[in-house]
Amino acid sequence: MSTRSLLTAAALLLASLFGVIWYEYRRPEPVALSPTLTGEEEYCVACHADLPEISAAHPVETFGCVICHGGERLALDADLAHSTMRGDRNPSDFSVVQASCGGSECHSGSPEEGRDHIHRVLTSVQTTYAGAIAQIRFTYGAQPDLTARMGVSAVQDDMITTTTGLPSLEAFVPDAESSPSVVAFAENCLNCHLSAEPLPGEPYARLTGCAACHTPAASADLDRPIHRLTTAIPYTQCNTCHNRGNYDLRDMRFHPREDQPGNRLQDYYQPIAQFVRCEWTLDCIDCHTRREAMGDGDLHSSKQEIQYVQCRTCHGTLEELPLTKTITDPEDLAFRMAFLNPVIDLQVGDTVIVTEQGEPLWNTRRLPDGTFELFGKATGQRLTFRPVKGTACQQKIDEQESRYCHACHAVER
Amino acid sequence: MRPSFFHHLHPPTIPAPQARFRYTLGAGGISVYLVLVVIATGILEMFYYVPTPEGAAESVQTIAYLVPYGWLVRNLHYWGAQALIAAVSVHLVRVVMTGGYAPPRRLNYLVGIGLLLLCLFLDFTGYVLRWDQGVRWALVTGTNLITTIPLVGAGLYGFVMGGDQPGPATVVRFYAWHVFGLTLLLVGMGVWHLFRIRRDGGISVAPPVARVDPSRISRSELVRREVFAALIATAVLILLSIAFPAPIAAPIREGEAISGDARAPWFFLWVQQLLRWGDPFFLGVAVPAGLLLLITLLPYLLPGPRPVELGRWFPPSSRAAQIALGVVGAAILALTLLSLLFNNSSP
Repeated sequence: MSTRSLLTAAALLLASLFGVIWYEYRRPEPVALSPTLTGEEEYCVACHADLPEISAAHPVETFGCVICHGGERLALDADLAHSTMRGDRNPSDFSVVQASCGGSECHSGSPEEGRDHIHRVLTSVQTTYAGAIAQIRFTYGAQPDLTARMGVSAVQDDMITTTTGLPSLEAFVPDAESSPSVVAFAENCLNCHLSAEPLPGEPYARLTGCAACHTPAASADLDRPIHRLTTAIPYTQCNTCHNRGNYDLRDMRFHPREDQPGNRLQDYYQPIAQFVRCEWTLDCIDCHTRREAMGDGDLHSSKQEIQYVQCRTCHGTLEELPLTKTITDPEDLAFRMAFLNPVIDLQVGDTVIVTEQGEPLWNTRRLPDGTFELFGKATGQRLTFRPVKGTACQQKIDEQESRYCHACHAVER
Repeated sequence: MRPSFFHHLHPPTIPAPQARFRYTLGAGGISVYLVLVVIATGILEMFYYVPTPEGAAESVQTIAYLVPYGWLVRNLHYWGAQALIAAVSVHLVRVVMTGGYAPPRRLNYLVGIGLLLLCLFLDFTGYVLRWDQGVRWALVTGTNLITTIPLVGAGLYGFVMGGDQPGPATVVRFYAWHVFGLTLLLVGMGVWHLFRIRRDGGISVAPPVARVDPSRISRSELVRREVFAALIATAVLILLSIAFPAPIAAPIREGEAISGDARAPWFFLWVQQLLRWGDPFFLGVAVPAGLLLLITLLPYLLPGPRPVELGRWFPPSSRAAQIALGVVGAAILALTLLSLLFNNSSP
């Protein structure tokens, strides 16, 4: 064995050691985060330091990443780190939402504290699609009335609190249906409920689960992660399902609207629709409450059973002022909502409008002169309005649905 | 200089033709070096490894990703262990194909077979200690083969696993066997194996009168060659460690199904392939054990080489043994290839 061979072997070893240094150098630097809720170190931020904080209610120092997303907290290899993530990039998908967002201190807490979000959303008509399914099955003779029997998935509710609440829904199984129209409905029309993948294309771009509403997506590129949860949901997000076209009962297909809404005043609503001025100034959630949008915890047969806010909720009638409540408890739900979406500087002692079901419209406030102010939840825009009482409005007391208001207040276009 | 075990292993001179790489393939010496590598890296890993079902896989991740140069230590341990299986197998083939097992080396041959078995058990236990989704076959199917053994199967399974299913006791038992029981046996029998080489007259070689080339190399030349082999082996292990990190997968978590890779570790792929064809006891236990017994008893069952034919490859007088090992080896290779090529994900 010549010295030269030995030196060559030593040089090879030296070269491999340089390889070690190179490999060590290009590895991600471990950056630890110890969220206070888990106390367990996680290293996700080694690669994801540039992600914006998801929301003020979920500070990363408190929650970290793993408590919601799952994944391997110690792995610095993307494949392994991501291999056990819940719901891939969307932990709020309903298949995993209980593990991601649940917990008595989180979003499956008590109804009294308003923390039963998961139960409410899983029983809501936006998730069950029970109303549409019941309508179609009734129309084509598969059931004798409009009471819902089926949802997109089987679901039950052990605590019924309303007169229209149902104890349970079976899973809608298209194969078990005899009517070809109902089968066609199942094939073509089940893409708006909150578990459904959206139709392709920018106008429909949204995620599934909670994120369908709470993660307003700006792009059809759903692969691009959007790290945001918000209660400031603009009308454009609602628009990814609503107001996008119609399902035609004749061919059981979805027909997208031909025009692409651009100017909200001119084009937002479908051409046949009437609307009043406030409806294109405000966002949907400025009027429609959390119970209406996300459910009241009961299973309902249609959205009519849950949608209740009307013009009079804020404006009152000729005889009555809108219902109000002066907030005295610093723990009041209104403060929690205002913290999540700080468009209004709500103070103890402020008087806010409450709905007929007692929900605070926390983004409103009565002013000293008896008029009201409202802050757009998505825009932050301040609007003032006055009650109907004492005006020259000619409404009849028993005609309070919006169509009656539209008779005078409709916007011309 | 005082005589030492080092001098015992390195005589003043050894026959030159039998000291050549193309005769020994360096397999025995490299095996010794690899054992040293896996022991050294294994000791380092013990500072971080946590032998509990909850902690094991996460501690492996800690080693692989967070401990400074932990990835290198772990990958060297992994590749050292894989290379060890390969090296001892090559060593076995070399010994049989050169007739090195003939008396007076029959006892050392048996010790060597024991060492091969220990290496396999060590690899198997080390593999299971990852306790992640990747070890499913070993933990479920592999160990369940034990239960198919008539009469003693259930008891033996309990002894190995520490219960009637994988659990906390399994990790502790595999850990204890891996770092203590099997390693102690490996070192003890390894030293015995090395000691016996010199006692049996050094590397097997024809009697002086029958040697074509009587030249000899010195102790220092032998050491130079060993250093050369160790340098190359280390460089190769390091390059493998950089290019192909040791497998790792998500932890096996309490209450979650083990859904990971269903493939056996590579040195058991041939057994896994056999299992696809029928009775688990016969094909998974009896056939491998029978083959092992056959190889173990080669020096006793089939004619050994004539002394004058020693010291070269394929002595004609022990052809039967060579063919027997060749057939077994080819069958194992073929089954392994079959498993690799045609079965990507079956049990």
